[in-house]
Amino acid sequence: MKGNDIIQHIRQVAYFLVLLLVVLLVHISYIQIIESGSYAAHPLNRRSTEYAKSIQRGTIYDRNAKVVANSEKTSNGYQRVYPYGAKLAHIVGYDNEKLGKAGVENTFNGYLAGINTPERGLGAVSRLFVSTHAYDLVLTIDSQLQEVGYRALGNNRGAVVALDPRTGEILAMVSKPSFDPNQIESIWEELSRSEESPLLNRATNGLYPPGSIIKPMFAEAALTENIANTKRIFNCTGVLKIGPDYTLTESNHQVHGEVNLEQALIVSCNTTFGSLALELGRNRVEKTFGRYGFNKKTGEELQETSSRLPEFSRLGDGDLAQLGIGQGSLLVTPLRMAMLASTLANKGILMQPFIVSRITNENGNVVKNYVPVEWLKVTDAQTATLISKMMVSVVEQGTGTAAYITGAKVAGKTGTAENPHGKSHAWFIGFAPADNPRVAVAVIVENGGAGGQVAAPIARRIFEQALR
Amino acid sequence: MNAAWFDERLILLLGSLVALAGIIAVNMTAATINYPVIIAVSGLIFSWFVAQAIIRRKGHLGDPLLLPIAIMLVSIGLVMLFRLKPTLLLYQALWVFVGICAFSVSAFFFRNIDELAEYKYLCGICGVLLLLSAILFGVDIGGNKNWVIIGPVRFQPSEFAKLFIVVFLAAYLNERSRLLTLVNRKFGPLALPPIRFIAPLLVVWGLTMMMFILQRDLGSALLFFGIALLMTYMASGKLHYVVMGACLFLLGALICYSLYSHVQVRVDIWLNPWSDPNGKAYQIVQSLFALGSGGILGSGLTYGFPNLIPEVHTDFIFSAIAEELGLAGAAAVLILYILMIYRAFRAALLAERNFTSLVAAGLAAATALQIFIIIGGVTKFLPLTGITLPFISYGGSSMVANFIVLGILFAISEKRPYDERQ
Repeated sequence: MKGNDIIQHIRQVAYFLVLLLVVLLVHISYIQIIESGSYAAHPLNRRSTEYAKSIQRGTIYDRNAKVVANSEKTSNGYQRVYPYGAKLAHIVGYDNEKLGKAGVENTFNGYLAGINTPERGLGAVSRLFVSTHAYDLVLTIDSQLQEVGYRALGNNRGAVVALDPRTGEILAMVSKPSFDPNQIESIWEELSRSEESPLLNRATNGLYPPGSIIKPMFAEAALTENIANTKRIFNCTGVLKIGPDYTLTESNHQVHGEVNLEQALIVSCNTTFGSLALELGRNRVEKTFGRYGFNKKTGEELQETSSRLPEFSRLGDGDLAQLGIGQGSLLVTPLRMAMLASTLANKGILMQPFIVSRITNENGNVVKNYVPVEWLKVTDAQTATLISKMMVSVVEQGTGTAAYITGAKVAGKTGTAENPHGKSHAWFIGFAPADNPRVAVAVIVENGGAGGQVAAPIARRIFEQALR
Repeated sequence: MNAAWFDERLILLLGSLVALAGIIAVNMTAATINYPVIIAVSGLIFSWFVAQAIIRRKGHLGDPLLLPIAIMLVSIGLVMLFRLKPTLLLYQALWVFVGICAFSVSAFFFRNIDELAEYKYLCGICGVLLLLSAILFGVDIGGNKNWVIIGPVRFQPSEFAKLFIVVFLAAYLNERSRLLTLVNRKFGPLALPPIRFIAPLLVVWGLTMMMFILQRDLGSALLFFGIALLMTYMASGKLHYVVMGACLFLLGALICYSLYSHVQVRVDIWLNPWSDPNGKAYQIVQSLFALGSGGILGSGLTYGFPNLIPEVHTDFIFSAIAEELGLAGAAAVLILYILMIYRAFRAALLAERNFTSLVAAGLAAATALQIFIIIGGVTKFLPLTGITLPFISYGGSSMVANFIVLGILFAISEKRPYDERQ
């Protein structure tokens, strides 16, 4: 006969085992629903690379529909071709099986490789929508302007950034020395060993002391914080004594005498801006850097290196005065300086810089559109216009005359930033036409010397091309 | 004609459609038509309908859900195998055919399973010999050292040993179920059963430890020890046997962990696969990627990359299903297994005698444990072990052995009390 006990025990074991399998089902659901995304996008997961081989990688166009990267079919799969070579290398980057990805090829890989498609997640049904060509990118870059910037920099190390101040579109972004992405694999060893760091995108990842190009920001801060008005007179004796053992001097031992704010900017008077920084004090200087967004990231897509700001509360008076002339521990990227120019050009409103204007499918239909975004309201239009007028004078009669062009007013500011690596860095920021700006630029030539002589002429060529 | 037999055919048809549609879909994406495979699969479909017809025509009243569930799993497995290793499909189709024959024969043969109780020691010895053969003569194929090669034949004895061990334990435990409910000798807080009762359990424990150490086969060790523990519990109802057994196993496992580096490696991989994702933990990490990339609905058949996982067609076939068919497919497989386990236990509960109940329950527990261990292993729920997924993994031994298990369950499911019969 059959014992009831056994029945009961079998039932308990059955419950237990079915429970184990149900727990397993929950565990699998957790992996495939909650953790799905992170596993799918994991860098060690080769699926995206494998998938990318089966589909033609998207084409990258500049703003005028010129091809800057495309995939050509060869006997063994697709070959990525970059028609502009070194000129756009830092923006477009590269896509190499061994070396990985860089630039837009990296940040927008999901679209270019056809992984980020809305059909994904529909399972087998997604096969109905599948195409052999992934999404294309349209950049905000004007490759002609880029070429002009590339040529203008010559054999110097440095960077050029040009923005449309009204929208934040990056029109050109040159970094030198550059490299040919078409040959990335064969020249990799050399590139990675080179002391000139050709792989570094100086425009977004190079950190430099800004020097005098920071002065328009301090002029604006002085006006906004009511430290000075346009009529206040500063007396430049050539030396600013701070405390018992610190003095700030003018370059080349100049003495500017009695100057107002505009004249101080025109001659780039160090003592005036040093004392303005002192009068503003640590808190208001910190607030100013905050207003311009120096402590805010420009977004994932640009992968910009954060600016190095001093620890304001611990700043000594000497360092504070140094900050007013863009020296000391402050380090910024050329992109940030182009954004500074762009803010003053766009009536105090800083647009978020961006580099991809839209993503399209193979039929040219827009999949994703990037619209201009108002990033920060830095200052009011009136103050911005005042500073802008002062900067026009800088180009018409001051240190920036080399950036002067006929046919449009140029606003600008030069900088000659002392640094521990030798000769000063030559800087120029500016925008044009001053009354209705269409382009804002920042130029840096590493160890180039005087900004007015080296950087300003490069900016001039950008203005001429951009306003053509 | 019984209405249940009609439903049975209907579900068989469903399974057949899964197989046929899947094979055709994979053919279509390859843009070539593999006629031998289509013919072989059509032949298989024909064969399982014939088997069903013969079994019912001969008046067998076995559970009408068991065969269709197995066929559904077999169909999913065939499609997946065709997608992963098309060259192996014809072999697998042959094994499925042999399996169906084995099922049909055992469905009738084991109708009088009670008589097997007489041969329990023979069964026990067979089981132990099979396990020992794997332990002593095991050859490493695809990372698992549980293959035995005799001339041209290679098979995994542990798949068959499972059967014998369950029958032996059922008979042995059933005979002594009285004994164990009687007086126990007390050792402090522990109430130990008479040594005679636990002797075979100690033998199984010893065998599993040998498997663990010599074969590095954690999965089989866990499986056989789990079977022994669960069957002891079902026969005796004494929880402390289970606790004691589990402690013994844990003790053994701990000793092995401290003594043998390969055990340490297995456990360390399980605890933290990300410390060496491209080396020792490669398989499990790839398996997790497959599951994650599959998501809810999967990549679609043939559109995933399950071949990135080594040994995907045997131990890791579940990961391939989860990648290409998504959670939908993985859950379907798991729910089919749960249904099958449920029907198997139902047969155990409705069987007329303790022995048959224990055999059915033992086989059900063995199958459930095996599924839990392998799926748990490839999804990092448990340390990874190399055992097969019943009815789905590639391999003849596993396929035939599992069809025999199914046949026994089918035979037992017929022995219902009269009020349950239709």
